[in-house]
Amino acid sequence: MAQIATVWAVFQGLLLEALPFLLIGVAISSLARAFDPSGHWLQKLPKGALLGPLSGALLGFALPACECGNVPVARRLLAVGAPLGTAFGFLFAAPVLNPVVLLSTWAAFPDKPWLLLLRPAGSVVIALVLSGLLQLISESKLLNSELLAERRLSQPLAAVSLLERSTGLIGQPLAALTTDLKSSVQNKPAGLLSHGVDEFLELGSLLVLGCAVAALIQTLIPRDLFLALGQAPTLSVVSLMLLALVVSVCSSVDAFLALGFADQVTPGALLAFLLLGPVIDLKSVSLLGRVFTWRAMGLVLAGVSLTVLLIGQALNLLLL
Amino acid sequence: MKYLVLGFLGAVLLKCWLDQRLNLLLHSNFHSLVLIAGLVLLMIAIAGFCSAKVSNKATKIWPLIVLSLTAMGLWIWPPKPSLSTLAANRSGAQLGQSELSFLSPPEQRSLTDWVRLLNSQPDPNLYGGDPVQVSGFVLDVPGKPPEIARLLVRCCLADATPVGLAVRWPKTKSSNGWPKPDQWLQIKGVMAVENHQGSLRSVLVAKQIKAIAAPTRPLEP
Repeated sequence: MAQIATVWAVFQGLLLEALPFLLIGVAISSLARAFDPSGHWLQKLPKGALLGPLSGALLGFALPACECGNVPVARRLLAVGAPLGTAFGFLFAAPVLNPVVLLSTWAAFPDKPWLLLLRPAGSVVIALVLSGLLQLISESKLLNSELLAERRLSQPLAAVSLLERSTGLIGQPLAALTTDLKSSVQNKPAGLLSHGVDEFLELGSLLVLGCAVAALIQTLIPRDLFLALGQAPTLSVVSLMLLALVVSVCSSVDAFLALGFADQVTPGALLAFLLLGPVIDLKSVSLLGRVFTWRAMGLVLAGVSLTVLLIGQALNLLLL
Repeated sequence: MKYLVLGFLGAVLLKCWLDQRLNLLLHSNFHSLVLIAGLVLLMIAIAGFCSAKVSNKATKIWPLIVLSLTAMGLWIWPPKPSLSTLAANRSGAQLGQSELSFLSPPEQRSLTDWVRLLNSQPDPNLYGGDPVQVSGFVLDVPGKPPEIARLLVRCCLADATPVGLAVRWPKTKSSNGWPKPDQWLQIKGVMAVENHQGSLRSVLVAKQIKAIAAPTRPLEP
């Protein structure tokens, strides 16, 4: 009984902490919809394997949000037809490359300047790798079907055919096919409000599921299990990656949490913990399901795990 | 319907802020965020009711069900975690030397101050005989006497880590004389040195123990 009560309390803590950030993310997404409904400007964000993810990552400085808040923003970027690389750069790197997270990292580890340098650098590397990896598969196999349909409607006909838009008969007026998109724009602000509320409710319900799983695992599995391998060069990195997945703490404060066990683990493991959590954890995995297909989610998990492991290993080789 | 669920969720966030449960769940930095989110959700719900004629697409039903049930749960079932159960799953926080910026007289130090001091200057002989007055909850330690502990939180209960002091409990006629886990106590005593598994450590010799109510802010930053 004590465990059930504890799971419930941890669940409440996770949810109440994350909901405001989700609300901020949906608000930013709705503002983007209001000011650039057809995605005219967002489609002009830099493309390219390097420039796209880098510019997306740097958007984090303009829109500081943790991993819960930036999913709706990244969805909006993708929905309006922004370049994939830019949206992925924002999704994967912005939770670290923003002033709040960098300041908290510095505040937690003033004696580890290398961490302040390597955390953002590692995030950029992860964004570049994941962006390159995900663009190896076609958009139809990459993006969640609803998001893909909305993206197709925003892309110019030169880039996407009517068949890909699933619009039915050739010659059918575009306005009739884009009812949702058009009406939400034309009926400002009521349409925007309605769409934003739908998005918040849907992502909020997924967040509830993610928080429930994270609370359950956190309470039932001893944290010491993850820290037991603290000084083994490779296993320490792997175990801290698993801990980052389970703990599901907001990227703006995870450095303070890491401070609690920093002396027990290798430098590579510490960096791995700070790099993996902002990309994916049990709390945010359900939210990412509104962006990607399951296959793409598998690719994200495999790609980020391998990249973080290699970064952690390389650091351990250098410092140990 | 969706605005009703949204408004209910906003009201629940406000209730969470009002009924002080956030003190048990979140670092104080996040309390105002919850309040603002609750107010914003309520305002959006009211605005939505006023413009409900615009309904350009059907809202999915499952998010409404999930969030309604969650909001109802939050409303009727406040958190009552077993801090001892939570702490038992987590290793103690390693408090760095840099965190010790000011040293109070021994009898004014909180439990967290003592743990910070013992971490930064671990020589137990420095503190032998010092008067101690601390409060905390009883943390069960398997196979050993329970400790007196507090939970440190940086974000929310999910990242809470315990800090505890070893206690030499007074001998009583009962089976072991140890208090029950999760019980909040105020302990007056002195710091002593004892041999623990071949090395010296500081231990709080309890002389006066008083059961107290859980503090309004049981988590420490």
